[in-house]
Amino acid sequence: MTFVAENVVKRFPGVLALDGATLRLEDGTVHALLGENGAGKSTLIKVVTGVYRPDGGRLLISDGPSALREVQFSGPHDSQRAGIGVVHQERNLIPAFSVAENIALQALPQRRGFVSRAAMFELAGRCLDHLDVGLDLHSPVEGLSVAHKQLVEIAKALAVDSSVLLLDEPTASLTTDEAERLFTVVRRLRDHGRAVVLVSHKLEEVFAIADTVTVLRDGRSVTEAQPLRDFTRAQIVDLMVGREYTEVETTSRRVDRSALPVIELEDVSTRAGHRDVSLHVHRGEIVGLYGLVGAGRTELARCILGLDRITAGSVRVNGAPARIRGVTAALHRFRIGYVTENRKEEGLFLDQPISRNVAVTVWRRLARAGLVRSKGERALVEQYREQLGMRIRGPRQLAGELSGGNQQKVSLAKWLAADCDILVIDEPTVGIDVRTKAAFHDLIVKLADTGIAILLITSDLPEMVALADRIAVMKDYVIVGELDNNHRYDTTSQAVIRMIHDGTAA
Amino acid sequence: MSATIKDTYARRVRTFARGSESVLITTSVIGFVVLASTTHGNLLTRGTLTAIFQFLAVPVIVGLAQMVVLGVGQMNLSVGVLTGFCSMVAAWLMIRLGVPAWLAVVGAVGVGAMAGLINGVIVVLTRINGFIVTLATMTIIDGLRYGINGTSTFQGYSPSLVRFGKGSSLGVPNVFLVAMAVAALVAVFFRRTVAGRRLLASGGNPLAARLSGVSNDRSIVIAHMISGLLAGVAGVLEVALSGSVNATIGDDLLLPSFAAPIIGGVALAGGVISVLGTCLAAFIMRMVDVARAQYSIDPSWVDVIIGVVVLGAVLLTQLRHRGGGPR
Amino acid sequence: MRTAEHCASIVDHLDEDGQGAAKPVHGRAIPFWANPRFGLVVVIAVLIVVFSALRSAFLNVDLSLVPMQADLSVFVVVGLAQMAVLSLGHMNLAVPRMAAISAFAMGWSYQHLSVPLWLGLVIGLAVGALVGALAGWIITATGVNSFVVTLALDFALVGVVSLLYSQVGDGVAFSVHPAGMQTLRNGTFADYCAGSVCGPPVPVVVPIALGAAVLVGLLFFSVRAGREMLMTGSNANAAQLSGIATTRRIVQAHALSGMLAALAGFILAVNNGSFSADIGKSFLLPSFLGPVLGGTALAGGAVSVVGTILGATLTEVIQAGLNLLQFSIQQLNIYIGGVLLVALSADRARQLLAERRAQRS
Repeated sequence: MTFVAENVVKRFPGVLALDGATLRLEDGTVHALLGENGAGKSTLIKVVTGVYRPDGGRLLISDGPSALREVQFSGPHDSQRAGIGVVHQERNLIPAFSVAENIALQALPQRRGFVSRAAMFELAGRCLDHLDVGLDLHSPVEGLSVAHKQLVEIAKALAVDSSVLLLDEPTASLTTDEAERLFTVVRRLRDHGRAVVLVSHKLEEVFAIADTVTVLRDGRSVTEAQPLRDFTRAQIVDLMVGREYTEVETTSRRVDRSALPVIELEDVSTRAGHRDVSLHVHRGEIVGLYGLVGAGRTELARCILGLDRITAGSVRVNGAPARIRGVTAALHRFRIGYVTENRKEEGLFLDQPISRNVAVTVWRRLARAGLVRSKGERALVEQYREQLGMRIRGPRQLAGELSGGNQQKVSLAKWLAADCDILVIDEPTVGIDVRTKAAFHDLIVKLADTGIAILLITSDLPEMVALADRIAVMKDYVIVGELDNNHRYDTTSQAVIRMIHDGTAA
Repeated sequence: MSATIKDTYARRVRTFARGSESVLITTSVIGFVVLASTTHGNLLTRGTLTAIFQFLAVPVIVGLAQMVVLGVGQMNLSVGVLTGFCSMVAAWLMIRLGVPAWLAVVGAVGVGAMAGLINGVIVVLTRINGFIVTLATMTIIDGLRYGINGTSTFQGYSPSLVRFGKGSSLGVPNVFLVAMAVAALVAVFFRRTVAGRRLLASGGNPLAARLSGVSNDRSIVIAHMISGLLAGVAGVLEVALSGSVNATIGDDLLLPSFAAPIIGGVALAGGVISVLGTCLAAFIMRMVDVARAQYSIDPSWVDVIIGVVVLGAVLLTQLRHRGGGPR
Repeated sequence: MRTAEHCASIVDHLDEDGQGAAKPVHGRAIPFWANPRFGLVVVIAVLIVVFSALRSAFLNVDLSLVPMQADLSVFVVVGLAQMAVLSLGHMNLAVPRMAAISAFAMGWSYQHLSVPLWLGLVIGLAVGALVGALAGWIITATGVNSFVVTLALDFALVGVVSLLYSQVGDGVAFSVHPAGMQTLRNGTFADYCAGSVCGPPVPVVVPIALGAAVLVGLLFFSVRAGREMLMTGSNANAAQLSGIATTRRIVQAHALSGMLAALAGFILAVNNGSFSADIGKSFLLPSFLGPVLGGTALAGGAVSVVGTILGATLTEVIQAGLNLLQFSIQQLNIYIGGVLLVALSADRARQLLAERRAQRS
């Protein structure tokens, strides 16, 4: 069959996520869907799988000989019935159920209300055979490795006889070997006539396995269903990033490296799995920590904050050894702030007013005779509303009502209010439109100019090249390389990508 | 092929050995033996044994009634008072309306199922926390019990029903046989039927269940309805066993209804149930009660011990399944 | 990395027919007549009018209004006890027995240590706080949810309290009463006159309850500890990552709950005239009625002291009115339970309307 998502438009409050994106799928192909963070890949997938309803454009299906007809999905169930299967980034399995039952859950073979167990195991077995994978059908899914869980998810999609299979960052938590085995499966699926859509950040994977490619940028398809062999990797990156971006030359900032680093990690190993990580950030410096999903960067930040254990090596703040036991100590004693990557789950209190969201870190300071005055909170909000350009109705507005960009500003304001010396900023511009993104970049540089030491974690390479004074590259929980940033995208991005491919421990 | 079957059994035995059910069986057996020997065989007289198992029937069913909603991640605070209410309904039907026993039984169980259905529908429609909804319905039904016959007792109904309730078949008390049959049906429901598997899917991972086309709302309503139905069955057994009922029945059934499944290894977050565990836990609690009587221990100690055991059981279940429910 | 966000947005969308666990995010300020607290005031006023029309004795100062205020004082403090942990999104099912064991400690001190009234109260509050802190500690140390921990604790404490009274106490109640208790029990401010102007017919226990309410309100509104408790209830992860010592706040909130339960037990004992084993027995339902009717969210992050007082008042008015109309206790239960359901459904309907209006804008 053929499936087309044509000129899809999707709006959210404050953000135009998709602005005419087109995806054209044919049987028997592996189709790569590429784009930078925030380009709209996730949103497009959600429209295709029926999770979101498009505000514009249409979805079309044709079963072989017949003409394309328009379809509408009112929910995930509809898209499944139309033959679209999806394997999301995160696992959606019933932990206590067996492998077979998870696979067959959507289409449980039954007779008069009773589960036909024999038929169920047979169905599950067939799906796994199709993937050429041997798993114990009876074992509960909660005990499986991440890779095996992912295979169960794929088998699930096969159980409902999907003609289209969407894989969203499938190798995010897999080792190279496991990924290789997954791709064998993908090739087999393609050879059996299915259409496989691969969403991935890892270009080497894409070039190894995909036949055709669609590139999204700013919610639009800049390249539609072209044969991948017509492109070089550099050309694809250019398409993803857009020529204009590489033209912008940021001048190198002058950083005073004569004094002791404000924060220094030396040969740090952690319980999370890091080995011999060494990093340092000077006053007023922006050090970027780059890596792909699963590299261990956020986990390192959490260890710095005392949320996970450091098993070897030393952490020094302003030259003195520091045992950071938790976020409270990190903030109030060592003046380290952490702007989290998931602002909704970890950065904001969605049902609380903006004033509380911003002032929560500084109530100690605002309190007079033990009582916190609302006036102080409001003044704080006003200050940052101006400085950051927040578009809010007032300090009493609830944080959950704001657009993504404004929410991120509130999240940042909270840490600015805390007057930190060291700021760890984790993926600051995910899901934020281009204009606000540029404003944030300006802001981060200005913050560094005031003397704050910034550790910037981002997987947005252009953002990294624009902002960082130095870039450390992390892969599989070790640092594989470090370089000074000349702010030239072509050379620096090549160097970084090479470090990720070649590097084991630096 | 035979190798696979042997593997399957081997794996099943291993899982069983590691699970809480084996701990409970061991505890039950050891406890029973200890009790029997230290009371110089008093325990093994026909009268005592009969009493033990007769008074085990209602706690088992009430525990199962709670277990069913726990499986979908809910709870039913009205289980205890609903049992009493259904008892009164059954007795009322027989005495005031002269209805034959079997019809009264059906009526009472039907009332229970209806009450459970209403609980489930309210939870789903209003999206209010099941705890608060059943707290409210518990209060209502608490009062309704007294609306049937005030504080007076119903007695002298259907001698055949009472004969059945107090009697035994092949040496096993009838009410206990009924309870075991019900337990078996519940076990089959959760292990073999589509509705039961879907219910556990909703409890185990509502999002995943939703994505697989399972209706979580329907699971919740079905769970509450079965819970009410089982409370009705418990009520009927009370009527049969005791020969006289009044509105206080059910006052002391709420906490045991939680204790049995929790000690039996049922996860509070939903998705994991154990019929065997619930029955064994009820048996163990009954043993503790018997021991208390035999050794004249202050009943308050029993409460303390059970409270501590419940806490320990939740902790163990949590460690095993890594899920403790909401904060 | 974007995993959680991805997942969360699926959940946001599916919440339409999923299990509404999302906290309601209200839009613009609603007009004052739609404010739930105002609604409560109206309902209370209407009920007072109706009851006094049906039974003029409802408004009799000595026989009706004064005892009502005394009972209300207990309900208010009990509601505050539950509200204290609702701030975290937790529940305290051991409120009844925390009150009971504190009452035991107070009664025992009066009887065997002959302490003055105020000191006995302090001892009781300390015991309540300790037991509450124990619950909070178990919750944070084991990660088991508050419902189960406090349920098990209540169960265990039933036994402990009973044992204490039978082994250490003298039967089921203490007979010795400290000086001043009689005044607290029977006195109203009308007994105190300056010249010809006498105080209002308000029982002396009322200021105790009101004082507690003011302090608790101050705690959650202005004191850093209380605010951090609310933030922990709003989003425990974000709270921890914002530098809040969440473990400490959880233990403190539960300790506060225990302390307030003890205070409620004290007021009840004063009203009844003795410290006995069944103090606290009927506290569980009222502990939820006050806050829930008053608009405190079960999910945590927002509490309302005024709402709790109004909720408790509504409960008391209904109870007193139905009592006067000679409804039995059991009939009372039917109506109270019904009121809870209706109030919750109405509140939920209001939330849905507010959300729909916000979406459209």
